[in-house]
Amino acid sequence: MTIAAMLLLVVIGFLAGGFGALAGVGGGIIVTPLLAIYFGLPMHQAIGVTLLCVIATSTATSSQYVERHVTDVRLGMTLELATTVGALIAALVAHHVNRRTLAMLFVCFLLYSAVSMVKKAWNLRYEKTEEAVPDYTPQNYPVGLAASLLAGGFSGLLGIGGGPIKVPVMLLFMKVPLRVAAATSNFMIGVTAGTSAYIYWGRGNVRVDIAAPLVAGVFVGSLLGTRIAPKVREVHILMLLIAIASWLAAQMIYKLLTGGFQ
Amino acid sequence: MNRQDFAVDRMLSHTLKLGAYTALALVLAGLILQHFAAWGSKITVAGLLVLLATPALRIIVACFQFLHERDFKYALVSFGVLAIVVLAYVLGLQA
Repeated sequence: MTIAAMLLLVVIGFLAGGFGALAGVGGGIIVTPLLAIYFGLPMHQAIGVTLLCVIATSTATSSQYVERHVTDVRLGMTLELATTVGALIAALVAHHVNRRTLAMLFVCFLLYSAVSMVKKAWNLRYEKTEEAVPDYTPQNYPVGLAASLLAGGFSGLLGIGGGPIKVPVMLLFMKVPLRVAAATSNFMIGVTAGTSAYIYWGRGNVRVDIAAPLVAGVFVGSLLGTRIAPKVREVHILMLLIAIASWLAAQMIYKLLTGGFQ
Repeated sequence: MNRQDFAVDRMLSHTLKLGAYTALALVLAGLILQHFAAWGSKITVAGLLVLLATPALRIIVACFQFLHERDFKYALVSFGVLAIVVLAYVLGLQA
């Protein structure tokens, strides 16, 4: 690989990690399509590499959110019982799903993420950044565990973290405050992605030459992003991400219609 | 939140930081060194392996911390998660 391509991957990783830390989404939904569209990686390899980026985002951001006591470690650990099972099964199944089907599923998830980000941005207009975390007790564990199983499944199949599924469920059904739900989801995705990453790595679907520069960028981006997060207006990041996600979805649909992703 | 919760948080954030900075340092060093020496790429792979080990390591740390606090319910939960992750690791070796 040329040094220019390597530096480009570091920059992509930096942005993905930064967005992941600032908006709680973005790591997975950006990296996989970029690798599949512009770097010509087969879907399985693009997903395998992205899983490592997800672990890096989770490790870097959680090291700070756990320290600030925003993450609910006990809740996260409990839901991980379900996400890891989902991730393990899906990673084993993904091997037998063809590339075009994976690309189609990914487009659906990309569009779903874009819509959920639009909703989030819309709601943020009214809310001010909450500083203190209110008291709460997580409720409705069965619904939370079921959603986590599904989120873990999508993570193992598509290489994403699954935050857009878990966060709303924790917020609406388990009555967990938004900041805690987002931080706890960020905490969980590392273990979820790790579970499926072992399978992808074992199958040779993690290309070290692509993953290493990306991971380096993701670490720096996430560590920096988490530090500046309190000073940044999340709405602006979300709008940028919605634009990027829509563009990538359009590119993937175009490539699918013209017979790509073989 | 009681003081014991803070102990779990502290142990985990130390583990996560250790994993993050070790992996980052190894990957960066490897990426630079591999342009000068063939063994540089082995350092890069080592960095990625540290990254892959961090999720398992943090569950182990949490499990021991819960045991230390005699919070057996969550020690068991952590152990359950660890069992699934180890199963994935074993299946990954055979894949």
